[in-house]
Amino acid sequence: MLHLRGLATAASSNGSIPINLIRTSLILSRIPIVTPEVSEFDAKFYNYQEELEKRLMWTFPKWFYFKKGTVAEKEFTKIQKYPIPAHRGVWFPKGVPELKHGRDRRFKQEVTLANKVSEGDSQDLENVSRPITPNSRITEADKTNDETSLERKLPRTLYLLVKQDGKWKFPTFQVKDDQVALNEVAESGLRELGGDKINTWSVSGTPAAVIKYSNGEIVDEGHEGVVREYLMKSHIVAGQFVPEGLEYKWLAKEEVEGVVDPKYYEKVGYLLSN
Amino acid sequence: MFSRLARRQLPAVRQLQQARLKRSKAGLNPDAQRVVTQLSVMSAGRKMPKMLKLCNEDYVKHKTIMKAWSVRRKEQIREEEEVLKKQYEGMKEASEDLKRVNERLFELSNRHEYGKRFPLELRVPTEYPARQVWYYDYVRKREE
Repeated sequence: MLHLRGLATAASSNGSIPINLIRTSLILSRIPIVTPEVSEFDAKFYNYQEELEKRLMWTFPKWFYFKKGTVAEKEFTKIQKYPIPAHRGVWFPKGVPELKHGRDRRFKQEVTLANKVSEGDSQDLENVSRPITPNSRITEADKTNDETSLERKLPRTLYLLVKQDGKWKFPTFQVKDDQVALNEVAESGLRELGGDKINTWSVSGTPAAVIKYSNGEIVDEGHEGVVREYLMKSHIVAGQFVPEGLEYKWLAKEEVEGVVDPKYYEKVGYLLSN
Repeated sequence: MFSRLARRQLPAVRQLQQARLKRSKAGLNPDAQRVVTQLSVMSAGRKMPKMLKLCNEDYVKHKTIMKAWSVRRKEQIREEEEVLKKQYEGMKEASEDLKRVNERLFELSNRHEYGKRFPLELRVPTEYPARQVWYYDYVRKREE
């Protein structure tokens, strides 16, 4: 709705192409809040490496961390599970143990630490010694599948899509004159749409890509009267996008693919992160 | 003469026995003992695990795992490089197009942004989210 400006109001440009054919689009992203999900294969490989590392690790030097004869040393020694030493005349089905410093050299060493149970309610913020329970990586917005929420899909990068002219796309704005940089036009346009209670960080003034339209269709080559959309990148830092009477969604890459026009996705898909 | 000989030899014998029985660490003063402890932490003596000897089957398994991992990593790196290349081509195309379309906008887009810094408010991803996942109550700074 914003980029439908009459031809008569177009400012003159010094280029060969009139300024009313230039638009700017804003790819506004919310960066991941939690670490990415680890795939099953990755998790298994990391586990294998960890076990190998533990097997090849030197024996834990207890005497360095616990002074002999102290209470801490006695408590630590008490909760360790020591392997059975070798005995003459005893048959060990898994081989004769080789103990050094209380560790069977043939296997990894299991060091158990005193598990001090914290008292109280984990939600009681006044209690300093409350037990620590991590917050869920799956939020309320994930459960209700609220696509307008910034709190959904925490391990993924989300992108802002709006419905302009009946089509889902990145918010697009008309360039009115050539005295304002493209990213500034896009940033101020975003605030006109969704209020100024939003903090964004514009990545660069240079465009990330260009999409050319001829009669509303995406074309590869520029002809006469081609409308150009320059895509600018930006990150949302704080605040939120609350437009009036405009549909919007925060979507991850594969959801963007499902919502936008396939031709449009072909032009922007590589700009989005997995 | 014998007694003199015995007197001369006896201390030597006793010293030898003491040297074998007495532990050298026992007599160390605390500072020296601390140094010995610290060195023992860094040295491999008596702390090394047994050498890992894999049977043929385990060795084949290990090789398969490592190969699978390297194949996957290579594929990931190739995909990332492809995307980066595409993004670079996209930027280049857009910039060249902008230069042809509007010289003034091109100049504006390429001006140096003095004092531009990465925002400190953008947080590094953590294992679990904070109690307040997103900061909504942002109020724009008044420009003077």
